[in-house]
Amino acid sequence: MHISEGILSAPVLLSGAGVTIIGTALGLRGMKEEKIPRTALLSSAFFVASLVHVPVGPSSAHLILNGLVGILLGWAAFPAILLGLTLQAALFQFGGLTTLGVNTMNMALPAVICYFLFHLLVKKKSTALTGIAGFLAGFLGVLLSGLMVALSLVFTGEYFRQVAKLVIIVHLPIMFIEGVITGFIVVFLRKVKPEILEG
Amino acid sequence: MIDSPFSQGKSILHSLDPRVKILVVSLYSFLTAVEKRPVVLLYASFLPVILFFLSRLRIREVVKRMLPVNGFVLLLWLFLPFSFPGEKIFTLGPLVATREGILYCLILTWKSNLIFLTTLLLLSTSPIFHLVHALHHLRLPSRLVQLFYFTYRYIPVVHREYTRLSQAAKIRGFQPGNNLHTYRSTGYLVGMLILRAYERSQRIYQAMLARGFQGTFWTLHHFQWRKADSLAGVIFFLYFLGLCYLKWL
Amino acid sequence: MNIPVIELAGISIAFPGRGKVLSDLDFSLYAGEKVGIKGTNGSGKTTLLHVMMGLIKPDAGVIKIFGRERKEEKDFREVRRHIGLLFQDSDDQLFSPTVEEDIAFGPLNLRKSREEVRRIVEEMCTLLGIENLRDRFSHTLSHGEKRLVALATILAMEPRVLLLDEPTTALDEKTTRRIEELLVSQKQLTYCIVSHDMNFLGKVSEKLYILEKGRLEG
Repeated sequence: MHISEGILSAPVLLSGAGVTIIGTALGLRGMKEEKIPRTALLSSAFFVASLVHVPVGPSSAHLILNGLVGILLGWAAFPAILLGLTLQAALFQFGGLTTLGVNTMNMALPAVICYFLFHLLVKKKSTALTGIAGFLAGFLGVLLSGLMVALSLVFTGEYFRQVAKLVIIVHLPIMFIEGVITGFIVVFLRKVKPEILEG
Repeated sequence: MIDSPFSQGKSILHSLDPRVKILVVSLYSFLTAVEKRPVVLLYASFLPVILFFLSRLRIREVVKRMLPVNGFVLLLWLFLPFSFPGEKIFTLGPLVATREGILYCLILTWKSNLIFLTTLLLLSTSPIFHLVHALHHLRLPSRLVQLFYFTYRYIPVVHREYTRLSQAAKIRGFQPGNNLHTYRSTGYLVGMLILRAYERSQRIYQAMLARGFQGTFWTLHHFQWRKADSLAGVIFFLYFLGLCYLKWL
Repeated sequence: MNIPVIELAGISIAFPGRGKVLSDLDFSLYAGEKVGIKGTNGSGKTTLLHVMMGLIKPDAGVIKIFGRERKEEKDFREVRRHIGLLFQDSDDQLFSPTVEEDIAFGPLNLRKSREEVRRIVEEMCTLLGIENLRDRFSHTLSHGEKRLVALATILAMEPRVLLLDEPTTALDEKTTRRIEELLVSQKQLTYCIVSHDMNFLGKVSEKLYILEKGRLEG
């Protein structure tokens, strides 16, 4: 979930921007020239995937897939998500400049955590293990994101406590669905093109 | 889907140098985002209003683009008026709406819309490629700028592939619902998109090598700075001086 | 004539799940020759061109280009500067923001001066009749326009040999004719075109092969 402009306090905005700058620098540092088209095309694919809606109960939600972004890109998840959000801001007015740092951090930090937890596991021989690792990455990616959005609000002011709780509740069903879908995506990639998961 | 329809106009705003636009939006957003006093916000409101008249965009279109932005703001209206201690305005069961809470919400809504409107008016009146090019001139890391170029360039291509795949699924009677079949099919579809994007990236890199790419991106075209841009720069500078004066003095 | 510019001997290659695509294939292309290769879908036409460019390594066989044997990636680097390959999907080839920048990409990589690059861009636009597209963003072009621009980006490298992969697929009559005229009018060009469009191949090639069961038949 993106937090709107003009809502968060200066310390929260600045910490978000700081973390995002460091993460992006780390992501770019490890990137050789030949990886630029690859990272970019995967970013395009994730951008398009984020326009895909799946039913959630009577409503629907768009895919987030930050766990998967982490598994496939590692630290490069930071620049990839930063660009994705910038484009969303420019094209659809989802979010703006001052919140870019916080919103990127809230999605990309969980992605990088998923990378460290699961990138070895998805490469394992057993398809079941790959699927479970995928599920966990999808699940945890959204869970941590939801928590971080809630924390960004609460750190701004105590009076955001109710909104923050609601944010977490809204994320609950999405976590499971993201987990299941990420599981299927990872199993699919494992079968048809294992080298994508090699990094 | 991929370029703002606003980018095609012919106003003064459209021809303003994208570097100036990016700097103004950044400065304006940060100064406004952390402001709480109505006086300052009132002064800050002049900028988007003037920009709107300069842009020659139609008000209906602009309002339409501003609606989704206010979704999150609406969510705040459901909770915040009841989360502040203070003078009671009305009650809703056990909830007490206070003057302070409502005022706080009003300020947030005002600020949020000011920033979005200014961003919309300044940035969506330039094609994205020009903005990316401007970022390059504003000394962003060249790798980030390159990533940006490629990502943006191939979104329509990947999107076309997505449309084809989902149409093919529809033709075969696929109807999304709350079931495992939907999640599996969506997973495979996204997996296929990722796979194709990955394979395409290899072909692109081969095409780059085939044209002698050796690690550096050279560009032919550069921006021309015009007198009008300097003039605009001075006007914006004076405006921001006023904003800072109100804010800190 | 002297030695061939491209010479393949005993090339074999197999892909997992697809079996043998090229088997013990021989081919040579001499300077000034205009060769067409016809083949059905999946007959290995694209693979053949990619082998010549060193983008795919064959399982067996010898590749000689400009009279020297080429094995490693670095052997092919020089080759790629002098052989222009037109990809089947123009979107893979047009990765720069504008048409002008795309045509300039190759010459700039060769470290030509900006004035010279501008002149080359000018020439290519005139040659292909795409002056009106110069400032357009590549992704807003039509299918046919993309193909013409892709061809311009290749010719801007002043290649000694052109390899064209299905250049007329899904093009309208007018654009197809434009490409035909260009190829026929440039007498000095050496090229090898793969296609399943017999009509087109008949017009632009002086020598015709058929790719079948992994081998070329005259």
